[in-house]
Amino acid sequence: MMLARVADSLYWIGRYVERAEHMCRLSDVMLNATLDRSEAAAQVARIALAAVGDPDVAKAKSPYDAALALALDRDDDGSIYSSIARARENARQVRDQITTETWERLNLIYLRMSDPEVRRSFEDGSQLFLHDTIADLHLFKGAGDATMSHGEGWSFLLLGVYLERAQLIGSLLEVVFGEGRRRRPIGDHFALTSVLRMGCALEPYLRAHTADMQPRLILRFLMLDEDFPRSIRFCTQEIESHLTAIIRHAGMAGSVGPDRLAGRLRARMQYADMDEIEAQGPSAFLKTVLDECAAIHRNLYDTFVAYPLEDRLPA
Amino acid sequence: MDSIVSVRRDETAADLGALAPEGQARPYDEMLTPDGKVRPHYAALDARLSTLSPDELADRQRTQERFFLLQGITFTVYGAESSTERIIPTDILPRIIPAAEWARIEAGLTQRLRALNMFLADIYSEQQILMDGVVPRELVLKAPSYRREMQNLYVPHKAYANVCGSDLIRQPNGEFAVLEDNLRVPSGVSYMLANREASRRVFPGTFRGAGVRAIDRYPDLLLTTLKGMAADWRPNPQVVVLTPGVYNSAYYEHAYLARLMGVPLVEGRDLVVHDNMVYMRTTTGLRRIDVIYRRVDDDFIDPLTFRRDSALGAAGLFNAYRTGNVVICNAPGTGVADDKAVYAYVPEIIRYYLGEDAILPNIETYLCREPAQLSHVLANLDKLVVKAVGASGGYGMLVGPHSTKAQQDAFAEALRADPANYIAQPTIQLSTAPCLIDHAVDPRHVDLRPFILCGEKIVVTPGALTRVALRKGSLVVNSSQGGGSKDTWVLSETKGDKS
Repeated sequence: MMLARVADSLYWIGRYVERAEHMCRLSDVMLNATLDRSEAAAQVARIALAAVGDPDVAKAKSPYDAALALALDRDDDGSIYSSIARARENARQVRDQITTETWERLNLIYLRMSDPEVRRSFEDGSQLFLHDTIADLHLFKGAGDATMSHGEGWSFLLLGVYLERAQLIGSLLEVVFGEGRRRRPIGDHFALTSVLRMGCALEPYLRAHTADMQPRLILRFLMLDEDFPRSIRFCTQEIESHLTAIIRHAGMAGSVGPDRLAGRLRARMQYADMDEIEAQGPSAFLKTVLDECAAIHRNLYDTFVAYPLEDRLPA
Repeated sequence: MDSIVSVRRDETAADLGALAPEGQARPYDEMLTPDGKVRPHYAALDARLSTLSPDELADRQRTQERFFLLQGITFTVYGAESSTERIIPTDILPRIIPAAEWARIEAGLTQRLRALNMFLADIYSEQQILMDGVVPRELVLKAPSYRREMQNLYVPHKAYANVCGSDLIRQPNGEFAVLEDNLRVPSGVSYMLANREASRRVFPGTFRGAGVRAIDRYPDLLLTTLKGMAADWRPNPQVVVLTPGVYNSAYYEHAYLARLMGVPLVEGRDLVVHDNMVYMRTTTGLRRIDVIYRRVDDDFIDPLTFRRDSALGAAGLFNAYRTGNVVICNAPGTGVADDKAVYAYVPEIIRYYLGEDAILPNIETYLCREPAQLSHVLANLDKLVVKAVGASGGYGMLVGPHSTKAQQDAFAEALRADPANYIAQPTIQLSTAPCLIDHAVDPRHVDLRPFILCGEKIVVTPGALTRVALRKGSLVVNSSQGGGSKDTWVLSETKGDKS
């Protein structure tokens, strides 16, 4: 049993910390890449900014300023600061539901991001700053995993994490491999490595496919790998299993709800055929995936959070 | 290495002279006797302090501040450019109370809360005390905190005020007196518990040796008290804490108590009233609530009964309460018993219901509604503290000796216009306790807020929040006006009674 508002907040904590982590990684890869002055580096910067959702291509010319704004801009809802601040604000609202150990990790990140001196520490070493933030976000998830009960609340939090992750990786793949943008196909080794870094997938990919950088293999790895925790398929497995757990907690097994959508999406990923996807173009497939994620999100709300009272009043 | 405490001891006389306005008794020093000797219950702390350098002490202060910051025991200061988190100032040096003194405080508080709950039960039913003329009728019935809606309403165990936080001060003669009873939604208990967490880390050895009584059962006792308020036919009552929300300055405390009691922390928007039952919206539908520990003021709990513009409560809540389907703790309308004018009658109230003399005395209080007392107050505005009856938190107050002639004139005018709205008290020299100020130990004025629970029975937690006026010479301990807090060690019998 859990308050609907609390479940909502836990879900959003998951989404915001995942978003913050992804944005940190995109910035980090962009800053690292643009230390070189190659065409591939500029391409990486454009990919990163497009994946962030910033359509202003001109910003790719000054990647440092773009990264600084993305990290610390308090007025931009999409900045890392805003995501951290919102995650923490949600955590404060459900402070009674998360353990002190978990809270402390998140609060620490927030205190650093909101410190009056934060701009200076970013300027002193921006990649170190981003790296530390990512590491602390991992500590937050680890503390939660190690100290929180793995019950309903935990499932809502992870549902947020994996839905957000599936959508972020999906958008990144659309930017890189989608045909909508009429960009030259990416063949450069450096650019492909950077894409894998943006998905935190470089080392697992190397182990699976060696240093053979092929766009088709990269797309398949980030989309369909069964074991890599940032592949879309892995995310959909987790989404289904946490939704099933929530429905079991709620004693609603058997009724048709968001679990049907999640199961269908998982099956779609599990039985996907790479040749078919390539034949119809990855964009169409990715769009279906993103649409179904959005549908799960809406259905989750209608079922557990913003349900109509009339249906639930005692007789 | 300099011994900090001996430095302080040399300066004591001069310091205290400066703190006490001319012609007034010197404030009581919690640590030192008037001839500069360390009181026995402070001996161990004194010995420990003399081995620590100013830097080590400052280090410990920083450790403690970091603990509060990490825990999120903060309030937010909204600036023009950005908002920053600040902790409520805390002082690392504990305030120590020996067992015998505590026994008296405990007996006094128990007696007082028992009488005040009997008073509330009477006021909201037969009103015998008004008919007997012990307390003036219109003083009670015209008080803004009196709730006509509570008349003849059944309250389990006749326990109207379930959680009480009384403000005590120690007078220059060493005797504790009650300055104020807080029977509405008293706060500060989380600071009591957090200060204890911190001071166990800062002075572990001294703490272990001192025989400090434990306070960590408070959440458990609170939950027991709240469950005891539920109807007998609800064997597993669902208790919740009702908070105004995350922007309330005491939000940390609401979340803290909910977490340590293991009950949901709800906001008004989580509640649904249907058929005079109160439910909360959960992921699995509606779930019935039996007991609400509300941290929302009377005015805001139900827009249908009290303030219509309130979004903090739930529509229909009061009717559900009236039907007996839910219990609200503290009961609405308890404020009439901690009204500043009713306060003056508390010793009479105790005598009326219990046939006993008050164990803890009141501060002498002038009721400006009485013409003779009003003229005395007007003639002595430069010596008295004048308080508006309805205000709290140190606002709406004139501290005579620290005021200008213009301020006094303004108050005189207000007094003549609406005398019933004011009371006056002599300026009390609050006792002083050693505090760590700028790397040195220096006395500051303190008060004492113990917490008393009342359900089936009355329980006084052996500890308190000691509030500190951090500005030198200041007598205002409210956190909204430069006050801080520190841990309070109540010693157990065996260790504390050597004095």
